[in-house]
Amino acid sequence: MKPDDNQQLKDWLKAQRPYAARGLKLAALLGALGGILAVAQAWGIAKVIDGAVFKQQDLHALLPWLWALLPILLVRFLAAWGAERQAVRGALAVKRAIRAQLFDRIRGLGPIGLADERSGTIASSLLEGVEGLEPYFARYLPAASLVGMVPMVIALAVLPADWLSAVVLLVTAPLIPVFMILIGRRAERVNQRQWQQLARMGGHFLDVLQGLTTLKLFNASRRELDQIARVSDDFRRSTMSVLRVAFLTSAVLEFFAAISIAIIAVLIGFRLLDGEMAFLYGLFVLLLAPEFYLPLRNLGVQNHARMEAIGAAENIVRLLDREPLLPGAAATGAIPPAGDIRFEQVVFAYEPGRSALNGLDLHIAHGAHVALVGRSGSGKSTVANLLLRFVTPQQGRVLLDGQPIDTFDHAAWQAAVAWIPQRPRLFAATVADNIRLGRPDASDDAVYEAARRAQALDFIERLPDGLATRVGEGGRGLSGGQTQRLAVARALLRDCPLVVLDEPTAHLDPASQARVQSALDELAKGRTVLTIAHRLETIRQVSQIIVLDQGAVVEQGSFAELSKRGGHFSALLRDTGELVA
Amino acid sequence: MNWFRRVLALYRPYLGWMALGTLLALLALLANVGLMALSGWFITAMGLAGIGGAAINYFTPAAIIRGLAMARSAGRYGERILTHEATFRLIARLRVWLFGHIEPLAPAGLHGLHSGDLLSRIQKDVDRLDALYLRILLPIVVAVLALLVFAVFAAAYSTKIAAAVLSLLLIGGVALPLWALRRARGPGLAQVRLSAELRTRVIDGVQGLAELINASADARYAEEIARLSDAWLAAQDDLNRISSLNTAALGLLAGLGIWAVLLLGIPLLQAQLLSGPQLSMLALFALASFEAVAPLPLALQLWSETGAAARRLFEITDQASVTREPAHPRPLPATNELRLEGVALRYPGSRANALTGIDLNLPQGSRSLLLGDSGAGKSSLVNLLLRFWDPSEGRVLLGGCDLRQLDSADLRSRISVVSQHTHLFNASIRANLLLAAPQASQAQLERACRAARIHDFISAQPQGYDTWLGETGVKVSGGQARRIAIARALLKDAPILILDEPTEGLDNQTVDELCHTLDEVMHGRTVLVISHRALPLHGITQTITLSEGRLVASIAQANQPLAQ
Repeated sequence: MKPDDNQQLKDWLKAQRPYAARGLKLAALLGALGGILAVAQAWGIAKVIDGAVFKQQDLHALLPWLWALLPILLVRFLAAWGAERQAVRGALAVKRAIRAQLFDRIRGLGPIGLADERSGTIASSLLEGVEGLEPYFARYLPAASLVGMVPMVIALAVLPADWLSAVVLLVTAPLIPVFMILIGRRAERVNQRQWQQLARMGGHFLDVLQGLTTLKLFNASRRELDQIARVSDDFRRSTMSVLRVAFLTSAVLEFFAAISIAIIAVLIGFRLLDGEMAFLYGLFVLLLAPEFYLPLRNLGVQNHARMEAIGAAENIVRLLDREPLLPGAAATGAIPPAGDIRFEQVVFAYEPGRSALNGLDLHIAHGAHVALVGRSGSGKSTVANLLLRFVTPQQGRVLLDGQPIDTFDHAAWQAAVAWIPQRPRLFAATVADNIRLGRPDASDDAVYEAARRAQALDFIERLPDGLATRVGEGGRGLSGGQTQRLAVARALLRDCPLVVLDEPTAHLDPASQARVQSALDELAKGRTVLTIAHRLETIRQVSQIIVLDQGAVVEQGSFAELSKRGGHFSALLRDTGELVA
Repeated sequence: MNWFRRVLALYRPYLGWMALGTLLALLALLANVGLMALSGWFITAMGLAGIGGAAINYFTPAAIIRGLAMARSAGRYGERILTHEATFRLIARLRVWLFGHIEPLAPAGLHGLHSGDLLSRIQKDVDRLDALYLRILLPIVVAVLALLVFAVFAAAYSTKIAAAVLSLLLIGGVALPLWALRRARGPGLAQVRLSAELRTRVIDGVQGLAELINASADARYAEEIARLSDAWLAAQDDLNRISSLNTAALGLLAGLGIWAVLLLGIPLLQAQLLSGPQLSMLALFALASFEAVAPLPLALQLWSETGAAARRLFEITDQASVTREPAHPRPLPATNELRLEGVALRYPGSRANALTGIDLNLPQGSRSLLLGDSGAGKSSLVNLLLRFWDPSEGRVLLGGCDLRQLDSADLRSRISVVSQHTHLFNASIRANLLLAAPQASQAQLERACRAARIHDFISAQPQGYDTWLGETGVKVSGGQARRIAIARALLKDAPILILDEPTEGLDNQTVDELCHTLDEVMHGRTVLVISHRALPLHGITQTITLSEGRLVASIAQANQPLAQ
């Protein structure tokens, strides 16, 4: 990590302060009040002891002073409580805001933008990462705002009482920040390393748990156990190297505070012995000395929190800094009309030098059923990604009824396109809620009907709670074919004019393939359907087949026409051995 | 409380470290209280000597004051290093222990557990247990010992003062925290639950983002995440309300402590039962002594959180494994014939049998193709062969020996599996391959990869065999991932090969190429190919069809090429 980046992280942290502004302001105010009350409390106690020991006053004479101390103690207590509450509420507001920003950015990046991110690491950023910011706002910033104020109040109170002690306080006070900076620089570097390692450890555990079955098959669990021990041990080592520095910092600070109190006590003692000083002032100063150092020591402790927050901010800022791929607000907000889809000279590359589409021209007539075929890497999936607006073309346009599709409101566009991927995902919810994904307000009857039309009822009714059965991560407990039928039900319920199919029948056994196909045929009625086909046998019935090669259309026509033509399509058929029938 | 004993039992190897850390912590605390008390005594005595002109030995107390200041700093530093070192060793031990307990449960016992949630449990809950020593046990033991010292010390001057200060310390250190503990139980549990749920949702949301966006459900999902986050923050707010009240109250009680010393001490002073320096000393002692109980509110508050975390961990580890290892495993039989006799399988909580009345023989060196619809019981059959489950009825035999009599590691050493679920780890290709044979040489790796037709691809990568594979193999295509898995299975070089939907999710061209590779790989092995559709494989000796958990057809073929 370069120092510039570090500065950027610090600036970013500072920029989040407005979320907590109210809480921080109130916390500082209450903290300052606490400082003033500390002076009053010390004066009252010194007065009572001085009266009793040196002026031989009895309890009765000192009672007014003792009574006066009680409200001071009480208000000080309320101020301290209020200060912490306000600071924490400020920090909670920051955490809420950052978490929302992060998930918004995740949505904005979309599936293509997140393709090279690990979901475990993202979850860590959103949970531990954001939590790691709290100490900065709840503790470091309030401590930093008090560090100038409270010691100054106390030094001003000590000065008239005993100038020599005030000098000792004021001379030792700056040593603390100086040491903090000296030690802090190194600690900051070490700390960032430790945060990266925490994130890596999280990723490692998710990986191992997801691959547990594979590990068992290779009898490799024992080795993985050693690996976990090693990762934990590395984590301990790196954490300890951070903590050693942090502890040294606070030990040095504590040493200064303790030794200064010792010096003040001894200096006062000798001047009292020589009669150069009144006991009242001596005790007053001794009582205030720990209060003077408390905010300074506290800042030393909380400086660690600041460094932790900088480390935690790194992954957060890295994610927030990425350019969203998905559009935010719409240009027109118009509802997509019915019409033809056209790709005009579309150029797209996932990364520079790795182009997926090279000036693609494509026409899909309204209501047509079109299949896209081509070897892997020919650009089939990119066409789907563009139609779904997960990515936008670098050159050229995608038009619906003559209008560029990026002029439509994003949600309205998605409502017009149903997509069934090769491996649909089921979310941790009931079967019914999974079918309802795109239409949360759909009635139970509508869900039932969609499931029926998707030929999914037979297995749903065999589940323990039918439609109300909860399915786990990735639809555990359901087979691939069953998951796909639920995805078809999902699309049926959404009822979109345009359907993009990433060959959803590819992995079904012949029996359910037929069932799903008939459901898909029903779905296709009156809609424009684009099928990304990997297996040519599934597209015999499709009226229009478009063959892609190296990101451009090379042939189109019906199955019969194309297979006779002796071009790319025939070559594809030959290669896959499907010409037999 | 039961969880506490169990955690403590796990900590046994580090009890020495823990005790030493506690001792240093106690010394550092006493040094600080001593510093303040002695300073109070010192300046008052010096003041009185200044007025009365009496002689006083000031060198000894002045030297002790400086010594205490240094002992304080050094003690704190040493204590923190020692206690944290001990804690991190405990964490590592816990992780390994937990993994060791989860591993036997996979995959059968982890059926209903979301892996995101499982990760959360391991990472967060184990981390939470670090609080047990550092922030719970240590402060409590130190406080108890310190309070004993304080009581003896103060009682030497006045039992009344000792009683008053001790009561205030107990209110601040025990009564208030116990009240807080009761109040914190609800939000503490909610916090653990909500954060785990949030993580599950985030992982689900990220992995299923494409479908969420397409269904325009992403905004709703974001609200769901915001709602969970808000609920979590609200629980944190509740916890803070309790904890901050407690912390602030300690300051109030410390003030009341000095107040009580004065109220009770001044009459004693006048009665000559207490000297002036002693009054100052006791006043400052009372103020400083609250340092001993300051960490107790947090300690007791964390108790409920830690208990919840520990119970969740034990909940997982206490699950009985669905299979049990034999006490005296029999040696592996010489032959590699697999046989199922009258096998039925019913999963717990399921209404219907997954498999019923299966009789099946896979002779050594045979190539069997198992066909069936999704949900027909194909995966259940594989689970039985690998002994991830035991049959509810009947027996599964390897070379005539019931699998239940074999060590399951021995059994699995005989079987290689290539399936659509084969996991590629976030590690280098080399590390992924070495999983199967840790001692394999580079030449052996390359030979396996050539056979699986993936060597050229790997060599073309800038980093070759050190190329990193992303999350669940995201940076390689499905066909390449499957080939790496095949190379890995080849490295294992087991006599039995199970190909569980080996071509699932691959495009046709890749399927053909892969089947060609598989023909070579199957040579000389007992092979079971599981598929929902016919595959262009050669030399299949029998084709078995499963439907709704029953065998419906078994056709012997004499070296006929299948399909085509």
